[in-house]
Amino acid sequence: MTADLMGGPLKLVISGPVGAGKTTFVQTLSETPVIATEAEASEDIGKLNTTVAFDFGTLNLDGQELHIYGTPGQDRFNFMWDVLCEGALGLIVLVAGDRPQDFTHARNILEYITSRNPIPFVIGVTHQDLEYVWRPADLAVYFNLDPLQVMGLNATEPDQARGLLIRLLELTLADAAPVQTPTHTFSLETTC
Amino acid sequence: MTTTVMSKQDTLRSALANLRAALPELRGALIATTDGLPITQAMNEGADANRVAAMAATALGLGKRINDTLDSGDLTEMSISGKEGQVYIYAAGRKGVLAVVAPSGMNLGLLHLEARDTAQMISEVL
Repeated sequence: MTADLMGGPLKLVISGPVGAGKTTFVQTLSETPVIATEAEASEDIGKLNTTVAFDFGTLNLDGQELHIYGTPGQDRFNFMWDVLCEGALGLIVLVAGDRPQDFTHARNILEYITSRNPIPFVIGVTHQDLEYVWRPADLAVYFNLDPLQVMGLNATEPDQARGLLIRLLELTLADAAPVQTPTHTFSLETTC
Repeated sequence: MTTTVMSKQDTLRSALANLRAALPELRGALIATTDGLPITQAMNEGADANRVAAMAATALGLGKRINDTLDSGDLTEMSISGKEGQVYIYAAGRKGVLAVVAPSGMNLGLLHLEARDTAQMISEVL
């Protein structure tokens, strides 16, 4: 097995509006049982439950231990975004591609978090399996971001979820090792 | 239909009013949903009821999870104490949370007695 690249687990945070697929994303990726903190939703958010504290999962990607924290999506829980982002080395903001009414909120979340924690981030546009859905390229324009930072995925697909993670890690490690060290390239096949 | 909703609110409001009357030193009491929305509040001026409701729900959610992991059964209550104040959070039925904000040095026996009764009453309404 390859040695730990960063000398310890990498902490990553998954945020985004309600219903973007954060909890699902963590559940798809985690190789250990996910610790979730869901409560019954009292509002109509299109599903039964909502995260009130965080989701926690872990996985090992090519020898790099990752700790993944999913945040709640509602603004009233924004104190948790601060708490969870402490010590985080990367951020994924998920937004449902079929909910353009949430795009502004996703951008606000991104702004809120990165203004307090200037860490590398990527945007994941979920629900890509739907016929009428905004594509990553559109969202890249909307967010005024490099298209490399915006990827589409279905949060239920392990390969796609890992793909988004890998994109973030490549950006994170590029940030952390600006000099001569070649950026480690992750493969999609887990070798565990 | 409306009358039923109103009387639920009234019942909850008077439950909190009674609690505050029984424990005059309290800084506040509120009832929230388990997903962090305030239902009824009797907080001191300057308190952010929305914030307290969300935090109480987060704390309760986390507490429930820890309780499950330790095989301690259904979560009933939890507390967060600082040098200058404390908050007690009670499960109120499946969908409710009662948060009681108190100064330090309160008679906890009395507080729990009153608060647990109130939480029980709330659980019957929600």
